[in-house]
Amino acid sequence: MAESHDHVSCSEVVELVTDYLERSLPAEEAELFEQHLNFCEGCVWYVDQIRTTVKTVGRIESEEVPPEVRSQLLTAFRDWKRS
Amino acid sequence: MTDAPLKERTASAEEVEFLARLRAGDERAFEALVDRHYGTMLAVARTYVSSRAVAEEVVQEAWLGVLKGLDGFEARSSLATWIMRIVANIAKTRGVREARTVPYASLAPEGEEAAVEWERFRGPGDAFPGHWRAYPANWNSIPEEVLHERDSLRVAMAAIAELPPAQRAVITMRDVQGCGPDEVCAALEVSDGNQRVLLHRARSRVRAALERHFDG
Repeated sequence: MAESHDHVSCSEVVELVTDYLERSLPAEEAELFEQHLNFCEGCVWYVDQIRTTVKTVGRIESEEVPPEVRSQLLTAFRDWKRS
Repeated sequence: MTDAPLKERTASAEEVEFLARLRAGDERAFEALVDRHYGTMLAVARTYVSSRAVAEEVVQEAWLGVLKGLDGFEARSSLATWIMRIVANIAKTRGVREARTVPYASLAPEGEEAAVEWERFRGPGDAFPGHWRAYPANWNSIPEEVLHERDSLRVAMAAIAELPPAQRAVITMRDVQGCGPDEVCAALEVSDGNQRVLLHRARSRVRAALERHFDG
């Protein structure tokens, strides 16, 4: 994905970050990615923003089940149990 | 980057035990199951049908399918994957009837989408092409209480609600529910590479929304 093979730029970091965090970058590219972070504070902060984003999204509660849906489903469950 | 199908996880020992409780008719177990999967089921259904109302009907129907199949479920996949496949199948049929099938291929990411606006990077004529014009903010300097306040959660939720359906389904499964990539691939029938692209786009958009919120 990197245009040249000796470094990645900031504009490439923001596209590779998910592959990096998911550990699906090929070893060589992961190394270039980390090398870039060693000298670019802006990208360190960007990656940190993505990590914060993932953490924030992780704190979202699953959607609440509306009470009437819950009671309908429980009725269905009881019927199923009886059958 | 490999795009080979992921090896699908089978049900865990914990799940097998949970399954036994369900089959024995344990209502608390069933409610826990409903609570855990309802939101994701809606998100998956929405990738195939046009409205939230239809998606809710699909999810109701899917629960009946789950009950019908429970005794025969062989735990070769995780419970979540199995449930999401039931949702997807019903939603697809419904989508066809609605004559608004989301054509199959469209669950795959479409076109190009930049994680960050190109204007924020230096151009090709610059001494440092592709380098930030101005660095993104250091969120470590934001006080914890601001980072964790309900407002930021609301911003993230609103951003997720605005996402294209496939991105919404993937980020809901991966980051809200904590499902593995294998479960997403199985439920949405997308390749591992595609689920990663969808996750990337979704996270990038939510990050941008949070950035607007924090940095004003």
